[in-house]
Amino acid sequence: MTATQHADDPVQNPLTLVMTVRSADDRRALQAKLEALQSLPREQNPVVAALDTIATVHFARFVFIDEDRLAVITTYDGDFAVYINEFVDHIGDVFNDLLQHVDGAPPLPVQRHREQFLDYVRRNDLRCLPPFYSAYPERTVLDVLAADSGS
Amino acid sequence: MLDLADVQGLVLRGYTMPRARHLVLRVDSPAAGRELLGSLVDGDPRRPQVTTGTPWTEKPDCCLNLAVTAGGLRALGVPEESLATFPEEFTAGAEARADRVGDVGPNAPEHWLPVFRDPGFHLLVSLFGQTPAAVERVTDDLLAGTGPGLTELCRLDAALLGDRVDHFGYVDGISQPTVGDTPPPGPPDRLPVAPAGAFLLGHPSQFRDHTYPVPQPPALGRNGSFAAFRMLAQDVDAFHDLLAEQSRRTGASPELVAAKLCGRWRNGTPLVLSADTGTPEPPVPAEELNDFDYAADPRGERCPIGSHVRRMNPRDSRVAGNGGHKHRIVRRGLTYGPPHDPAHPRDGQDRGMLGLFIGVSLRDQFEFVMSQWANDGRFAPGLGRTQDPFLGAGGTLPLASPGGGRARLTDLPRLVTTRGGAYCFLPSVTAIGHLAGR
Repeated sequence: MTATQHADDPVQNPLTLVMTVRSADDRRALQAKLEALQSLPREQNPVVAALDTIATVHFARFVFIDEDRLAVITTYDGDFAVYINEFVDHIGDVFNDLLQHVDGAPPLPVQRHREQFLDYVRRNDLRCLPPFYSAYPERTVLDVLAADSGS
Repeated sequence: MLDLADVQGLVLRGYTMPRARHLVLRVDSPAAGRELLGSLVDGDPRRPQVTTGTPWTEKPDCCLNLAVTAGGLRALGVPEESLATFPEEFTAGAEARADRVGDVGPNAPEHWLPVFRDPGFHLLVSLFGQTPAAVERVTDDLLAGTGPGLTELCRLDAALLGDRVDHFGYVDGISQPTVGDTPPPGPPDRLPVAPAGAFLLGHPSQFRDHTYPVPQPPALGRNGSFAAFRMLAQDVDAFHDLLAEQSRRTGASPELVAAKLCGRWRNGTPLVLSADTGTPEPPVPAEELNDFDYAADPRGERCPIGSHVRRMNPRDSRVAGNGGHKHRIVRRGLTYGPPHDPAHPRDGQDRGMLGLFIGVSLRDQFEFVMSQWANDGRFAPGLGRTQDPFLGAGGTLPLASPGGGRARLTDLPRLVTTRGGAYCFLPSVTAIGHLAGR
């Protein structure tokens, strides 16, 4: 999410998106939705399908930090803003579903309000205390997958 | 439904004219500027008219199109509240956005031709003609009718070289996006048809459930496009030296080196269709020169993933974001400067490519392609931070060989240098009338 990349920055970047739920009911609804989503077999999970297709996200997880806050924590390649259209095209529906329950959510659907969605993510991304550590700072998801496949 | 008569013709179709002239005009008085614009769309056959997207029954001698910079919109009297509805990259301009597209170092604006940094770069009138005489005639007709209040800052001429090649000897202009609701641009391809909204404001875009915001008022914004006007110098001597040096190092023929850099043999035959020779038997038919994908070549063993045409148009290649066909650009370019004569190398002449790179969004098309695909390699597996062999600063081209091997061409020189850039708005016919105060 950094606006300016430096030559020695890792290609990977951290996202720590913290969303505050609207109410206790919303918290219960979110938890039910996420548990249903995450219990799907890998090949039926739309988040998995989207991230496999986008191929810039190394790791991603949902974490309930406490009763009020849900975090999406990922490590991804490149500049989130530059790839916002690809991201929204593939995973926008998941965010439409989650953001209904979130305080201060951007206008929905995110597909029609891409800039506001990007602004929302920027505002609610805790980032990290720099520097961001990477064991393989030059390796993208695509590099890792290509190496794994022996190709 | 798309109103082709409202759209400037060059957005949707290549005129395939052998001559082009780009006139850069400064608007000193808004009234004079508005009068010129009005004359371009008033239907008076005695004055040059803007060429629209309406299919023609007889090809004209000369076509005319108009582009306006943000400074030009201001000079024509467009209010600031309207300008504020244009995308920020357009109003910032090419000079301010130079570092995003690799216009740094020798490409940086301080080295550009002065006209590209002139705050009076307001209007770009582009003429595309069948003959030099046709271009001269329309130039004279156009300028004869303009009174005081308009100043010609510069005219930049371009002309087709023999055999439709660029200065490096590659057949150019084969691949253009196919746009929905419009006549096909040339050889067919097997890529998804791009929606009109990928190139024209006010229509559903190439992204899901998304239309780019139309600059206001709608009469000004709708059916418009944006374009990066670019002047790119080509160093033909450095290119010939590169072919000889890499051939010596690798044992490959100079023609194969040229093909690996580009992704096509110099006669246009795609490497992915003919990896070993540019003259296969039977030859690749002309209508198939653009009808291919990379599904059978994921590692780039036939066509390097880092080659020029595979970077600029990855088609179905695996790329970061999976958007290999969502950043297409309509290219309207021709060569400028004299042909290079190998018998007289290092002649000191300026030569290269001059043209417009058109899309609905400068940020998501021209700037995306230049920043992510031309000047960085991390969008695709195995390219690292390498750059486009033609558009980048030189360096390395990774190669994949059958059986899992890897090789690379190294010490590649810079071949292309930016001589200037300008971000322009291509208004619709309605919008030209609107700007003229009609």
